[in-house]
Amino acid sequence: MAKRVAVVVSQGQSHHPAKRQLEEEIVASLLGESSVDVTVIPHLYDLKPDGSAILCLQGIAQELIVLSWMFPRATRWILGRYGVLGQEGASLLDQPSDDAEDEEAEIPEPSAELQDALPRVIESIEIPKRKIYCLNLANAKEPSVFVDEIRRIVTEAQVQPLQPIDWLQGKPKPEQVKRMLDPAPGNVEHQGSGNGSVTDPQHDPANVIEETTERRWYPVIDMSRCTNCMECIDFCLFGVYGIDQADTILVEQPDNCRKGCPACSRVCPENAILFPQHKTPAIAGSGDATEAIKIDLSKLFGSPDVDAVEMAVRERDEQLLIAGRETVGDAVGIASRSASHAAGDADDLDRLIDQLDALDL
Amino acid sequence: MNLVFKMGEYEANFPADRKYAPNHMWALGTEGSWRFGFSAYAVRLLQDVYFLDWEVAPGMQVEQGKHIGDIESSKAESTLHAPLAGTITSINAQLLQDPSAINVDKYGEGWLFEMDASGDALLEPTAYLEHLEDVWEVTQKTIKGQFNQ
Repeated sequence: MAKRVAVVVSQGQSHHPAKRQLEEEIVASLLGESSVDVTVIPHLYDLKPDGSAILCLQGIAQELIVLSWMFPRATRWILGRYGVLGQEGASLLDQPSDDAEDEEAEIPEPSAELQDALPRVIESIEIPKRKIYCLNLANAKEPSVFVDEIRRIVTEAQVQPLQPIDWLQGKPKPEQVKRMLDPAPGNVEHQGSGNGSVTDPQHDPANVIEETTERRWYPVIDMSRCTNCMECIDFCLFGVYGIDQADTILVEQPDNCRKGCPACSRVCPENAILFPQHKTPAIAGSGDATEAIKIDLSKLFGSPDVDAVEMAVRERDEQLLIAGRETVGDAVGIASRSASHAAGDADDLDRLIDQLDALDL
Repeated sequence: MNLVFKMGEYEANFPADRKYAPNHMWALGTEGSWRFGFSAYAVRLLQDVYFLDWEVAPGMQVEQGKHIGDIESSKAESTLHAPLAGTITSINAQLLQDPSAINVDKYGEGWLFEMDASGDALLEPTAYLEHLEDVWEVTQKTIKGQFNQ
């Protein structure tokens, strides 16, 4: 049985016509593909935790490709929040200039020594074998770039003998049972029979999940970087963070987060906290400042210049004031960080911000 | 009457009936109460605006320079900052649905927000043009530097 791959298109937040058109053209092209199931959802970040789109994502057990207007890290760990986990699928779109074989060595980790020393939260999470590929729709303007990459991934998925094992062990997943009982028209088996059908194979229309969303704002933790150091829970004074039963950090009350405030991501020593909608690529989840797509005019429009921790402290004070509380300056929640980093290098985020600042003059 | 500033080939126009803030907003009003919008200089840099979002709401007090919102266009994005210290009294709700008025009618229907504030720090049109002379080179470097990365 040919393996099917789920493709989920997460729509952009803004109504930019070019974005909508790209999404629509990709979906239209994929409806002609026989081994993909296409689902269209509102912007992934804004989804309600108990809404139908999240339920749908949680119900997908096979290989999954998610296209969204976010950096792949952000997409991957928003999914992770909802328990939609899988091995990280390597997309060729992430490394436009390098061979895919280089990718392991290519990922720059400025804190490589720390990385060896400190266990990451991801090591304690059970991650299913299926792969999840996250593609950033901002990476290219032509739908064909994404459609070609999806075809490549589908081909790659066909050669991984993961699901047949589940079948032999008698543990079919619910979708697999459903597909066997109710095979979709136009899948590979039907076409492959080659007995000269003259009508076009029929394809399922895209599954469009309508859900009213409002813009949300909350941190997303990259568990492959997070060391459970608890700097964020100490720093945030709005009760966003909590710990789970295994004492692992958790974004417990995401909607307590102060809209526009990325302060905790600035104090995270591992650059593990993302705000996918923040305009600074390093905070939005790029691995790399050069992924900046648009010109940032903020300095010209009056944004002041300060270092990352100062900025975080100021942002937090602003939010405390807006909430009618007393400011705390740098007296709360940053002491342990400065101690552990007293003699250390600037962290990843500081470096990225320095690079961004350097660009401004 | 309009004053003109040449941004390369482009002629940016600035009505002389209002004041300007150094962060490229115009201010129209009487002492103590001002309506703000983007100057032609800002709009030219942004080009087609398609997304505008505010961090503030009417009634909120802001410091000068406070991050009050975000804007995104086809070419650029930016945080937006309070031009003066004061109290936000109104936000142009039309723009949240359709920000195109910023491009079509920047000095009229494309207004952004209103504030109760002292306008002492606002610039007369001629002083704003001198400010543009000063910042134009930095602006070009910012744009080119980011383009070349």
